[in-house]
Parts: sequence; C-alpha cells; structure tokens
Amino acid sequence: MNEDRQNERDSQLSAMFDGELSAAECELLARRLTRDDALRGQWSRYALIGAAVRAERGVKLDDRVARRVQTAVTLEISYGDGGAADVPAVARAGAVHDKRARVSAYERWLRVSRPVLGAGIAAGVAVMSILWMRGPGMDGGSVDNSAIVADVTAPESTQVTLVPETTTVAANLAPAASAARTAAGSGDYSTPAPSTQTSMAPPAHLANYVVAHSEYSGPLSRRLALSGLVGGEVAADAAPDTQPIAVKPEAEKRVASDAP
Amino acid sequence: MLPDRRNGARFAALSMLLAVGVAVGAEPREWLERMNHALTTRNYVGVFTHNRGGRVETLRIIHRVRGRDVSERLQSLDGPGREFIREGSELTCYFPDSRTVLVEQRAPDGPLLGALPALGEGNSTVYDIRGGEAERLLGRRTRVVALQPRDEYRYGYRLWIDEETSMPLKTQLCGASGEVIEQIVFSTIDLPARIPDSMFKPQVDAANYTWMRADRQLVNNAAPALWEAMKLPRGFRMATRNVQTLPGSSEPVEHMVFTDGVASVSVFVEPRKANSRPAEGPARVGSSSAFSTVVDGHQVTAVGEVPLTTVEFIANQVKSTSKSTTPGMSLAPPERRK
Repeated sequence: MNEDRQNERDSQLSAMFDGELSAAECELLARRLTRDDALRGQWSRYALIGAAVRAERGVKLDDRVARRVQTAVTLEISYGDGGAADVPAVARAGAVHDKRARVSAYERWLRVSRPVLGAGIAAGVAVMSILWMRGPGMDGGSVDNSAIVADVTAPESTQVTLVPETTTVAANLAPAASAARTAAGSGDYSTPAPSTQTSMAPPAHLANYVVAHSEYSGPLSRRLALSGLVGGEVAADAAPDTQPIAVKPEAEKRVASDAP
Repeated sequence: MLPDRRNGARFAALSMLLAVGVAVGAEPREWLERMNHALTTRNYVGVFTHNRGGRVETLRIIHRVRGRDVSERLQSLDGPGREFIREGSELTCYFPDSRTVLVEQRAPDGPLLGALPALGEGNSTVYDIRGGEAERLLGRRTRVVALQPRDEYRYGYRLWIDEETSMPLKTQLCGASGEVIEQIVFSTIDLPARIPDSMFKPQVDAANYTWMRADRQLVNNAAPALWEAMKLPRGFRMATRNVQTLPGSSEPVEHMVFTDGVASVSVFVEPRKANSRPAEGPARVGSSSAFSTVVDGHQVTAVGEVPLTTVEFIANQVKSTSKSTTPGMSLAPPERRK
C-alpha cells in the first residue's frame, strides 16, 4: 500500500518535472510538499529547485506553484531535516513574501554551512550556483523558448545572466561586420543583425568530414568547429586566409561591472 | 588537551581558507583541466555569439550528461538556422539552407566526447601555457589562461574561465602572432541539474529534407593500416584510426586522427568515385581548415581546427602502406601537389 503510494508520488514528481502534470495536480503536489517530509526530501534529491524557481522551459509550473514549492524546499534546507515540519504553516506562507531577502539569507547560510554538510546538500549547492549565476532578484517568471532568445535581444531584461561585454571588435572590419560592431562596438549589447552574406551549405562530404572529425576534437575545439559549421559558410577552393578580428587592448575595454 | 571551541572554529576557518587557496592559486594547466572537466561533465544551457572574419552568429548550446550518455544541441539563432543534435550514439545535423540532414552514427564503444585530446606535459613543447590571473568579465570573476603556439602549425587560445563553475565564458582562437581569429562569448549560461528531453527537439521540420544517413559504422581498429602519414608537424602524433562509413557514402573511409594534445587533425581516405571530379586543394568549412588531394586513386582529405598550412602538410604526407594492388586502387604513381 505504502509502496503503491510512494510509486504514485514518484510518478507525479517525475511527471511534474517533465511538464506532464496538469496545473491542478501541480498545485496539489505542492500542497503535499509542505506537509510531507519524505516527499520534500525527494524533491531535494531531484535538485531542480532552480528550475522550479525559474519555471524553466519544460517545467510547466506556474509562478504561484513554483513559489509554494520553493518555499517548502527552502524551509526544509534552511531548517534541516524535519525542521520544516515544525514551522507553522503561517510562517511558511509568510516566507513567500520577501523572496529576495530569503534567497540572500539562503545563500549566506549555504556559504557558511557547505563545508560542514558536504555532499548532503549537493542539491542545494547546485541551486546556489544557479541562483548565483543568475544573480539576486532574477528568479521567478516564466521562461519559454522565446524568452531564452530574449536573453540576448533584451539585455535590460532581468533574465540576462551575464553582464554583457563591451567593445571588443574594432571598426576596421569588413562591411559585413557591421553586426559585429553593433554587438560589440557600442556601449550596449544587442543581438547582431543577421548577416547579409549569402550563407552556403557546405559540400556534403566536407561537412561529413568535419562532423566525423569533431568526435575526436577536444571540447573547446569541437565547439569552435561545430559553431563554425552550424553558423558559417564554406569557401571551398578559395581558402581565404583567416581574417583576424582586430581587438582593442584590454585597457580600452570598459569593465563589465562598470556598465550601466 | 582538547582544543577549545574557539580554536576549533579557527581551525575550521583555516581549513576553509586553505581549500579556497588551492583553487585560487591553481596553475593555468589546472584551470584548463577543470574547464575540460566542466565542459564534458556538466549540464549547461547557454547562448553565445560566435565572431569570425567579421561574421557574427548567435548560437544556443544545450549540453546534458546522464552517466555516460551525452546529449547536445547546437542551434543557430540567426542565419540559416542550422542545428546539430547529438543524442546517444547518433548525431543529426540539420541544414535548412540545403534542405539536407546528415545522420552520423558513432561507434558504441567510441570515446566519450572530449576524451581526446588530453592535456599532458608534452604540450609545453608546442604550446606556452601561461596566465591564471584573475579578471572580471561579464560581471563574474574569471581566470585568464593563454595557450600560445610555439610554431605556425597550430592556433593559440585565450580563455576566460569562470572561477565558480570552470566554464569558459569567453574563448578566443588566436594566430601565431596573437591576433584574434575567432571569438566565442556567452551572453547567458545556466547549469541546470536536469534538462528535459523536449529541449533536444529540432526547431526545423525536416520531413521533406534529403536525409543522408550512415546506418552502420564499421570500426575496425585491428585491421592493418593501409595508409599512414610519413611525417607530421612537431608535437603531433596519431591518436586513433578506424574504418567507418560516412553519411551518403557506401564505401568505407579510413579515418586517422592526429593530435598535439590540444589541436587535432583528421585524415580521411576513401576510394575516388569513378565519375566524379576529384576534390583537390584547400577549403574552409566553418572554423575548420581542409585540404584535399588524390593519392593512388584515393581521395585524401585532412580536416582540423588548425591553420591551412597544417592540413596541407599532413595531407601531402599521406601514403599507402600496401604494396599489393588493392581492388579499385590505381597503379598510377601518387599525385602530388607542389
């Protein structure tokens, strides 16, 4: 009986992470999380708090459910095993209101406790890295495919994780490099306009070779090779010399943190 | 006598500082190893710009590791909208501009992505590895590591490695004199614990595309080598060789891989097709250099993320090791480019 219930909960959790659980069922599961220690522990093991917080694409949690789930899990981690069960439901609900303060306290707690708790809070560390990478106040909100693209198109959006770099490409590039100047030559970062150059599909045999070769490249080389193949064109039999990108000295770059 | 609690706390604090010190004081080579480890073992979803020769492309990468299973999706967000999706042993490349799909099968016992090449002590003979200084980039603390080539047969790299995650937030491919040839800069990057399968679905509807599929891949490392490179640029050595079929080709292709520990070059040798014009000369495919020539009636092509000089040198050094007449092999002397 208990095993059946456990299996059912496993399935529900899994379905929720796969975005296959209805909103009503998500809500129900979130309620159960607030009062079921075992289920909450299981949630932690899934190590998907960050995804839930950000309603990452593929995890169809609405913001309200995500916050409730996050509250339950945050309380569990903050107060230790079983601690959340001792916290009155009112206190849990109250914890939702100041999310930013809670995340900050959560991070501080993690920084202090990580060496002590070790691998036991690996999931929490993963969460911290996600939150830390995205910066405070960047959680919440629904992210779909277009929002991921919008990370680039709308740098002012709070979804932007990294502070855009400025001014890396000098003005003496070929005309086709106007997009590059837009991207890196101005004070603000914006998506490069699609190149006006005609993009040619690479000859199949050469593309085959590059793809087969990439299996044996280092991760960095492979990234470069495949990026060039995915986004670039081929110039068979032309073999132009590599065209260097003129890069201003480091001193001329505006420090990212100084960017407005 | 047992230390009191204050001493215990001091000891704990000192231990933490020492632990931090190991990371902060790490050598450039250690940062490279950490970066390689992060790139091959972590889940990540990122958007980056790829700048080469005045062209800027925005791409998204989704990388997932589940045990030994690696899935990866590389998607161009502008331009022709090409996509590469790797799941398990299958790599599918979508080329909407040519309405073509290439499907590549990897050997089940093939190396994991990133398993080759590995950084070793020998790299220092061909690369000068330096750096490790802290620099703030994109609002993050990074370590800058440079691999400066010692000759013209390989490119150099400058890497901005995130201290926290060891991910390269910025990568520059540099020429021998330090000029930047290509640059990759991430604008967003996430490290989720889990990435759903739905994120590995192609955006394009390729139902009506031409599919080129290699349904089987022959891996025959035990077969005697029929081809070899008589001479290699300094620091390069053969890493592996196999015989495989490639998409769109029924003939097996001999594939040799040479590496200097950082850069790698593949040489493909296949019988020349009777009614096709042989490919000869240099080419560039994306970021890779390629050089083709014909040797003993076989098409020989060297490909790698190295200068053109290197692929040309290696391709021209490939010779048949067999003195017997192989079916389909010309008896004519090797054709050589000057």
